[in-house]
Amino acid sequence: MRTAFLIARKDLRLRLRDRSAVIYGVIAPLGLAFLFSMIMNPIQSSKFETTYVVVDYDKGPIAQAFSEVLDGLQENESGFTIRSVKTYNEAKAQVARGSDAFASDDKPKADAAFVLPPLLSQHVTSGQGDSLQVLAAAGSDLGAPIALSLAQGFASEMGAVEIAVRTAMPPDAVQDPVKMAALQRAAIQTKNPVVLKDVSASTKQLNQSTYMAAGMAVFFLFFIVSFGVSGLLEEKRIGTMSRLLAAPISPTSIVIGKALTSMVLGILSMTILAIGSTLLFGADWGNPIGVGMLIVAAVISATGILFVVAAAAKTQDQASSFQAIIALVLAFLGGTFFSISQIGGFIEQLSLLTPHAWFLRGLGDLQGGDVTAVIPSVLALLAFGMVTGLIAWPFLRRAVQR
Amino acid sequence: MKILEIAGTSVRRLLRDRTNIFFVFILPMLLILILGAAFGGSYDPRIGVVWVNTGALGEDLRDRIAASDGVAVRTIDDRDTAVVMVERGQLEAAVILPEGYDATLRDGEAATVEFVARNDASAQALRNTVDSAVTEQGGLLRAATLASAQGSTDFSAALTKAEEIQGTVKGVRVERVAVGEPFAFGQLGRFQLGAYTQLLLFVFLTSMTASTSLIQSRQLGVSRRMLATPTPVRTIVFGEALGRFAVAMVQGLLIIVGTSVFFGVDWGDPWGASATFLLFALGASGVGMVMGAVFSNDQQAGGIGVMLGIGLGALGGCMIPLAIMKIFSEPLWKVAHITPHAWGNEAFEELILRGGTIADIWLPLAILAGFAVVMLSLGAWRLRVTLTR
Repeated sequence: MRTAFLIARKDLRLRLRDRSAVIYGVIAPLGLAFLFSMIMNPIQSSKFETTYVVVDYDKGPIAQAFSEVLDGLQENESGFTIRSVKTYNEAKAQVARGSDAFASDDKPKADAAFVLPPLLSQHVTSGQGDSLQVLAAAGSDLGAPIALSLAQGFASEMGAVEIAVRTAMPPDAVQDPVKMAALQRAAIQTKNPVVLKDVSASTKQLNQSTYMAAGMAVFFLFFIVSFGVSGLLEEKRIGTMSRLLAAPISPTSIVIGKALTSMVLGILSMTILAIGSTLLFGADWGNPIGVGMLIVAAVISATGILFVVAAAAKTQDQASSFQAIIALVLAFLGGTFFSISQIGGFIEQLSLLTPHAWFLRGLGDLQGGDVTAVIPSVLALLAFGMVTGLIAWPFLRRAVQR
Repeated sequence: MKILEIAGTSVRRLLRDRTNIFFVFILPMLLILILGAAFGGSYDPRIGVVWVNTGALGEDLRDRIAASDGVAVRTIDDRDTAVVMVERGQLEAAVILPEGYDATLRDGEAATVEFVARNDASAQALRNTVDSAVTEQGGLLRAATLASAQGSTDFSAALTKAEEIQGTVKGVRVERVAVGEPFAFGQLGRFQLGAYTQLLLFVFLTSMTASTSLIQSRQLGVSRRMLATPTPVRTIVFGEALGRFAVAMVQGLLIIVGTSVFFGVDWGDPWGASATFLLFALGASGVGMVMGAVFSNDQQAGGIGVMLGIGLGALGGCMIPLAIMKIFSEPLWKVAHITPHAWGNEAFEELILRGGTIADIWLPLAILAGFAVVMLSLGAWRLRVTLTR
């Protein structure tokens, strides 16, 4: 075992002296994470905000009731701004500006407009009916559809009393105004038996800066770990392997030594990234113990996977290429560059075959829970490492031979 | 001609290593495919609905939510899964209907429907949509409740009657009028956006990483042996430049042809697209040459090449489209234009999104041409100096 440590120490010194390890392990991931978060942050931090305008030609009780609904919205929920305008054309102009993503902010714009026609209240109460127009800005993903729902909800509410009265009305009540009035009062007082209850979900999601930093960290992990792993093949190429074997060292300790190099490099790199991204651009990785467990498990899984790849290659160049391919494919599938959950379906299932996805999931779960939240991910990552390590073992034993 | 020989050797070396074929051709196509699959469609917020054993009324509520404008409804099997999906951001919100919803209501009892969302404002705003659907169904339920309380009929019969009456009541009708043209991206084909952004990203990235082969030929002493032959230095330099360029051209052509054949991508005016791509490839080759001449360690160059390739690509609008960058952060958008990618993207945006012709993109073309001239001269000079040291 002591030999393994000696080999690892020697390798580590070599790798650290070689600036490429520093580039792949610290500079590239940190730089890219910083760049990505700079690009994504303006988009991420834009909060939900929508503006609606109202044109009231009616000025009757129905219009009044609708205005009350909108005022309640503005007061009780964040992000809604309601304005009144005098004419239909002005409302339409503002919504048109709202649909143009490049319109400047100096003239007012809106995501939707509610048009309450003249005599609305009169027509509705007399049973003639009337329409409430919603001008919806094309391309408004959230604001306009919500405006439409609001209008539809209001319309349902308006119709509800009449439907209730007419449903409950015994045939003789039509003649009797007292009974009708009583029925109307009862109808207004009858509430919807269905109640919508709010449940607040915790956030098991990383913020953008942390996601980018973690993604880059685990992406480049596979490059930095490959330094240690391909070192095995390099020794064969430059001829030092036979010299190592001539010494009274067991071949096992050579393999373990290389593995140790990979793991130390990996843990070092990811730790520096975690600390660096937190200090430099506000990433929040979460509970340090949980993060530490995830990092160690991720490094073990990476080492195992890359050993399998190295075992399958015949030359060092081939091994490097295979390792780069695996690193890229797993990174894309694992969601390090963009969230895979958008695709859904089969590919989302496939992403669970990547250590990257489990690492990011573990961090996400840690955000919304305590240290124990990372345990499933840690176990999954360790499983990756163990299984691949076991597969690679016989090949490696053979590789470490004369 | 010797220049062609040297260039040809570069290309052959690249193609002979089969793993390069993955990086240079397969990976960009794969990425275009994945990006199209993930982001090419619409971005309606996703609401997960759990409606196990909820009967006819449960199905009715679910259908009303699904019919709402601007949301995508997915059926989830159980509450715990739905909650975790909301927490992880796989759903924007979840609606949980209690089991036996239908039976409970028909018995005249009250029922509670849960709305599960994270604490951010847009998730909360979705509540209004769900609330409207509940209110719509609620209108009928209130009528049936009133009628059965009055004693004239039972709940189910009253519900049916209420539905009939709803059809005849002329209350407030909601009329939707769409105003304005949707944002250009909404009209694009699924893979359209990914195609030109990834083309630029990968051609540049390949030029950067392929510079390692130039470094290797220097390390191995091949360049020095070429110099020992009666070959002028400028031939070698031109040959290497042509080699870089040839690789970029082959890669680009394959991506352009592949995407138009397999994904139906339209590249706009052919003259404009060709000019843009040609000038961009020349610039990329120049940068590759500079890297190949300046670095002596191919590992280092590889790492820096990947970093610069991805970084400049991201900044230049290959990951977040320039137009979106401009909306959210104009200073960033301005900074992006120090990269050749940004100008390439501007040109393609004009050609593909706005149907422009080569005349409309004279400015990006001029800048790309200038960039190419500067980089190629720099690369040629550095390479000459390094070779003849």
